[in-house]
Amino acid sequence: MSFLGRALAILRKDLKAEWRTKARLSPMVFFILLMLLVFNFSFDLGGAALREIGPGTLWSSYVLASLLSLSRSFADERDNDALDALLLAPGDRSAIYLGKMLGNLVFLLAVEILSLPFFALFFNLSMGFYLLPLLAVFVLGSACMASAGTLFAALSNNMRLRELMMPLLLLPMILPALISCVEATGLVLANECCEKLFPHLQMLGVYAVVFTVLSLMLFEYAIEE
Amino acid sequence: MRSVPFSCLVFVVMLVALGAIFLWVPTEKEMGIVQRIFYFHVPAAFSSFLAFFLVFVGSVQYLRTREDKWDRLALCSAELGVIFALIVLITGPLWAKPIWGVYWRWEPRLTSMLITFTIYAAYLMVRGYGARSTSVQRISAVLGILAFANVPLVYYAVDLWAADQQLHPPRNVELEPTMQYAKWICCAAFFLLLFRLLAQRMELARIEKAVTLLRQKPIDET
Repeated sequence: MSFLGRALAILRKDLKAEWRTKARLSPMVFFILLMLLVFNFSFDLGGAALREIGPGTLWSSYVLASLLSLSRSFADERDNDALDALLLAPGDRSAIYLGKMLGNLVFLLAVEILSLPFFALFFNLSMGFYLLPLLAVFVLGSACMASAGTLFAALSNNMRLRELMMPLLLLPMILPALISCVEATGLVLANECCEKLFPHLQMLGVYAVVFTVLSLMLFEYAIEE
Repeated sequence: MRSVPFSCLVFVVMLVALGAIFLWVPTEKEMGIVQRIFYFHVPAAFSSFLAFFLVFVGSVQYLRTREDKWDRLALCSAELGVIFALIVLITGPLWAKPIWGVYWRWEPRLTSMLITFTIYAAYLMVRGYGARSTSVQRISAVLGILAFANVPLVYYAVDLWAADQQLHPPRNVELEPTMQYAKWICCAAFFLLLFRLLAQRMELARIEKAVTLLRQKPIDET
C-alpha cells in the first residue's frame, strides 16, 4: 500500500467512525453555541459590536473547541488499545499523521461551517455571497490548527496532565495563525476583499505548510513508544 | 577548577561594559539618561535568541544521536533563554514608560517577543510537569525544534497585523560611534555571561542525572 493510500485509509476510518457515532461533531457545535452565549453575556454588547469583537469571538470559540476535540484524536486509539496496532503497521509512520491530520481538518471545517449560522444569528450578521472568502479563511485556518494540533495530540498522548499540557503547548504555537485568522475574518465581515486579505491568507498557507512538513518529519519521534 | 579563568574573564568584561555604559558613553540628546537601558535591553535580546537557537541545535542533535549531553544543552539553553527574554520584557517597559507614556503597547516587536517567551515557558512547563521520565527527552526535542521554527512565523504574523502602529525602533538604527562600540562590548559581556551560566547549569544537570541514576541502583549491588 502506498504512503497516500495508507493515509487515506486512516482518514476513511476516522470519518466513518465519526459519521456513525457523531461523538465529536454534535458536542462541539453545541460547545461553540455555548461559547458564543458566554461571550455575548460577558461583553454585554449585543449585536452592535459585530466589527469590533465579532471575529475575535468567533475564533476564540473555534480555538477552544478545537483544543477539546483535537486532544481526542489519539485518545480513542489509546482507550481501545488500537494505537499499538496502528504503529505495528508496516511502512512510514508519518502516514498515520497525515491521515489523522486530514481527518481533523475535515472535522474542524464541518464544525466551523455548522456553527456559523449561530454566529450570524447572535451578531446580526447578514448572510450573503460577500461571505464567500470566509470559506478560504476557514479552510486555511483549520489546516493550521489541524497540522499543529494533530502533532501535539500525539505528543501529549503519552504525558501526565495531558488535558492541561495540550492547550499549554498548542495555544502559543497557533497564535501567529490566530492573528491572521481574526484579521482576515474582520476584513471579510467588513466586505473588504481581496487585496488586503491576500497577505493574511498567504501567512496562513505558509504556517500550514511549514507545520505539516515539520510534523511529517517529526511524527516518527513524537509517537515512538 | 578550569572554569575559574573563564569566570574572571566574564567578570572583567562585565566591569568594562558597566564602565562603558555609565562613564564613557554620552547621554542621548532626546531621551536622556533612560536611553542607557538600551545597553542591557538589546544585548539581552540577542542573548535570548542565541539561547533559543542552541535549544534547536541541542534538540536536532539529540534526535540524531540520542546522547544525553545534547538534551542537557537544550534544557539549559531554554532556561537561560527564558531568563534573558524576561530581562528584555522587563527592561523594555521600563524604557517605554518615560518615552511612550505607557508600559506596554500591542505593537509587533513587543507582541512577538512576548509570544516567543510564552512558547519557551510552555516548553519548560512540559519538561517540568508533563512528560514522563521515560519520554521527556524525546518529547522535549520535538518541541524544541517546533518552537524555534515558530519564531520566524511569529515575526511575520505580527508584522502583518499592525503595520500602521509600529513604535519599536527598527533593527538598523544609526548610532553614534561610541554608542555602537559600547553596544558591542555589552553584547560580548552578555554572550560571555550566557556561556558561563550555560556551562555551570549543564554541569549541574549532569550531576543531577548521575545522582538520580545512583539512587535507582539497588543497595545490595554496592
